[in-house]
Amino acid sequence: MKFTIERSTLLKILAHVQSVVERRNTIPILANVRLEAGDGMVRLTATDMDLTIDESVAADIGASGATTAPAHLFYDIIRKLPDGAQVEITANDGRLDIVSGRSVFNLNCLPAEDFPGQGDGDLPHKFTIGSAELRGLIDRTRFAISTEETRYYLNGIYIHASSGDDGGQKMLRAVATDGHRLARVEVELPDGAEGMPGIIVPRKAVAELRKLADTTSAGIEISLSDTRIVVSFDNITLASKLIDGKFPDYERVIPTDNDKLLAVDCRTFEAAVDRVSTISTEKSRAIKLKVDAGNLTLSASSAETSSATEAMEVDYDREAIEIGFNAGYLLDITQQIEGSDAELLMADAGSPTIVREAGDLSALYVLMPMRV
Amino acid sequence: MVHNSLNPEIRRLPEIIVNQIAAGEVVERPAAAVKELVENAIDAGATAIDIAVRDGGKAQISVTDNGHGMTPDDLLLAVERHATSKLPDDDLVLIKSLGFRGEALPSIGAVARLTLTSRTADADSAWSLSVNGGKIGKPVPAAQGPGTRIDVRELFYATPARLKFLKTPRTEANHISDTLERLAMAHPGIAFSLEIDGKRRFQYWRPANDLLDNDAQLFRLAAVMGQDFADNAMTIMAERQGLTLSGFAGLPTLNYPTARHQYLFVNGRPVRDKLLFGAVRGAYQDFLARDRNPALALFVDCPADDVDVNVHPAKTEVRFRDPGLIRGLIVGALKHALAEAGHRASTTVSQAALGSFQAQSQAPYRTNTNHYAPRGAAEAVAQYFAPPNTGTAVGIGLPDLDAGPSARDEPFSEMTSGEAQDFPLGAARAQLHETYVIAQTADGLVIVDQHAAHERLVYEHMKTAMANGDVARQVLLLPEIVEMDEAAAGRISDRAAEFAELGLILEPFGQGAVIIREVPALLGQIDITTMVKDLAEELAEYDKALGLKDRLADVCSTMACHGSVRAGRRMQAEEMNALLRDMEATPHSGQCNHGRPTYVELKLKDIERLFGRR
Repeated sequence: MKFTIERSTLLKILAHVQSVVERRNTIPILANVRLEAGDGMVRLTATDMDLTIDESVAADIGASGATTAPAHLFYDIIRKLPDGAQVEITANDGRLDIVSGRSVFNLNCLPAEDFPGQGDGDLPHKFTIGSAELRGLIDRTRFAISTEETRYYLNGIYIHASSGDDGGQKMLRAVATDGHRLARVEVELPDGAEGMPGIIVPRKAVAELRKLADTTSAGIEISLSDTRIVVSFDNITLASKLIDGKFPDYERVIPTDNDKLLAVDCRTFEAAVDRVSTISTEKSRAIKLKVDAGNLTLSASSAETSSATEAMEVDYDREAIEIGFNAGYLLDITQQIEGSDAELLMADAGSPTIVREAGDLSALYVLMPMRV
Repeated sequence: MVHNSLNPEIRRLPEIIVNQIAAGEVVERPAAAVKELVENAIDAGATAIDIAVRDGGKAQISVTDNGHGMTPDDLLLAVERHATSKLPDDDLVLIKSLGFRGEALPSIGAVARLTLTSRTADADSAWSLSVNGGKIGKPVPAAQGPGTRIDVRELFYATPARLKFLKTPRTEANHISDTLERLAMAHPGIAFSLEIDGKRRFQYWRPANDLLDNDAQLFRLAAVMGQDFADNAMTIMAERQGLTLSGFAGLPTLNYPTARHQYLFVNGRPVRDKLLFGAVRGAYQDFLARDRNPALALFVDCPADDVDVNVHPAKTEVRFRDPGLIRGLIVGALKHALAEAGHRASTTVSQAALGSFQAQSQAPYRTNTNHYAPRGAAEAVAQYFAPPNTGTAVGIGLPDLDAGPSARDEPFSEMTSGEAQDFPLGAARAQLHETYVIAQTADGLVIVDQHAAHERLVYEHMKTAMANGDVARQVLLLPEIVEMDEAAAGRISDRAAEFAELGLILEPFGQGAVIIREVPALLGQIDITTMVKDLAEELAEYDKALGLKDRLADVCSTMACHGSVRAGRRMQAEEMNALLRDMEATPHSGQCNHGRPTYVELKLKDIERLFGRR
């Protein structure tokens, strides 16, 4: 195998694929990236067995063939080469020679045949979604993904087609929760997605997909089965196993009769929460909201008897309420709201509160209060 | 029996079989026989008991005492089943002696070759009686001084099945030694000796007569548990509702990986009881890492009718009428003692330090200067103590010490040594390696580990803050249902109120499950299922749920660790003094959260010894 390629082109795709490779591996070949040259294209593949990224780019092919090389090392070498340099890569006898200008590197390789193949299988559901829509689904839900491993079925984003039972349009929904808060975002259902099963996309795949989605403005093709998702656009293909579990029946925990509507200017509110919560240094970051007609008072106190309060004007005309929240969770949500007006729909100090952007029904956040 | 007779009659078992059955319970292994025989000797008022065993007790056990002895008639009665001198009023409620069941001798006699030789103080000769596999011989005259000697040969020869189940002689001998150690601890006034296969295993002397009870006790504990324990023991003394708790508990800095060094005695009877382990863990919770255990020996004295010792023939288990009271008493007394010992670091540590100082000072002297400069850490100390103390320390530059340890002297302008030395931890004099603070006290010097000490201070402050405020609780969006067996679920549900105080809100959920609705916010995202199951487990084991508190304390201590002064940070004189004053004012500042000492103290006389002045 032999090919020549411009350094920045190689660096770009190498950056994409190498981030899948785990730093520590018990299986040596998983630390490697697979290179394949042929038909005027070079194809790079990396995997951690659950998630595989595959990207091709045009190059000047000297001899076709395939091998694997240590991914992080390879990436670091290419990164440190000067901008604009041409890189000549040759594989022979289990070594990979990288030559650029006066620099010569020799890397130890493992045979390409040993590289785990992508699990194939029938992917009966196919649809295309705009990259902006996909970014929106991910961005506004991923903060709520659980990091706690025992409830593994919460370690990802649940994507499914809404039933439309409530008379509304059928939508494509993304839901994430960690048991303390929940985010639900929906976009119009793309053609072909009607019969798709509910799937849970694992956190790592979500993160990689989000990074790659930035590189394109084209439509993104999604194919899936019960157990696998394959996302492809331009010359990139990302394939991931899905979390094999049942996502909880989240509809049940979204309250429908919260009637205490608090309307705030989102940016003012966000800044105030951030300021007041400075005081609550402990991990729990408790903050208290006291609302009565037209007024909201935020307060926090810490164990060392420091305290903070801030008052702001709000739209509120129901009976007074006092409710505590984790300030970190509140900020996570307000950061998802792009518009200037946010609404909090409350019931009481022990029941879930709904947060949403005024006039935007596509995203909805549920936050459990904290008792302080 | 069933198979060779179609109509089996019910018949009374012969005495010998009855005794062999009883022996199965009373004498389960050689150590049990030793225990029975030694307890008899103790009940006979002996002041010296010598025990010799061969082949792990299988070949021979002999127990010789100088107690009141028995007459020939007594001898005959003693080997009869349920014959005892120890229940004068036939009252099982008020048991004041160690033995009472009257089972020991006949049981042993039923399974071994037993010889009793005894002489009362006023008799002119001794009498001897043999029992072989249950067959009782006739008393014959023998030669022996006052007291009783019991010889057991070929134990279990009459019950070969049991014989097969014995462990190696070494293991059995260790069990015997263990048993005797416990008995010796409970009876400091009696001298004990143990010989195994002709070799002396131990000899515990009687303490001198002029020692007070408490000192005698410690004297014996030191002999059994080691001088380390005696040096690092806190006296425990508490009384409540007729119960007396006494004994000694080790400082947290003296700790072990197992709970083997924890002994409980109830009315002079060694018992193994989970109650003790749970209570001890509760009391030391703050001071020791989860896998370290303190050493202690506690003696509970209670009215005989408050405790049932007749639970098991071997009497290692007891039942208290009010276990809660005993547990409360133990935890309370230990906590009290720990609080008082607040900043007393264990002397083992400073002894070890002293030892290494001494070793270091024997390093060869340098010849290229006219200063005698011992190497290593001692150097810094020597450097400091070399000049007469003037209160304002001045750095003394030894010419070839520039590459040496970074001892740094601080000018002390505002505090004269006179007043600062009056504080228990003295006045900070220098910082070594940016890690240790050296302080001068009225009668020595103190070396403080700045990180460990500050970590403990921050932790104590946080704990106080947590105890004063309510625990913030995060309500769960998806309540977690934890399934477990019904008993466990019941135990958890019963303590719901207790958990609520710590921020865990739960309710029973059908049979064999609980539903968790709110969790302590401090814990963040946690594995609730495992935590609750662990709690249930602990409730079953110790009747006490420390796990949740532990976890909260863990968070505090991690935060404390991150929030405290690190090793390697230079501290100003004022900072160092403030640290010392803070340590004096804070309870439990003598050890860090992991049971290591936060400081060691070297007395002036120890230092003088280093230089051969004493």
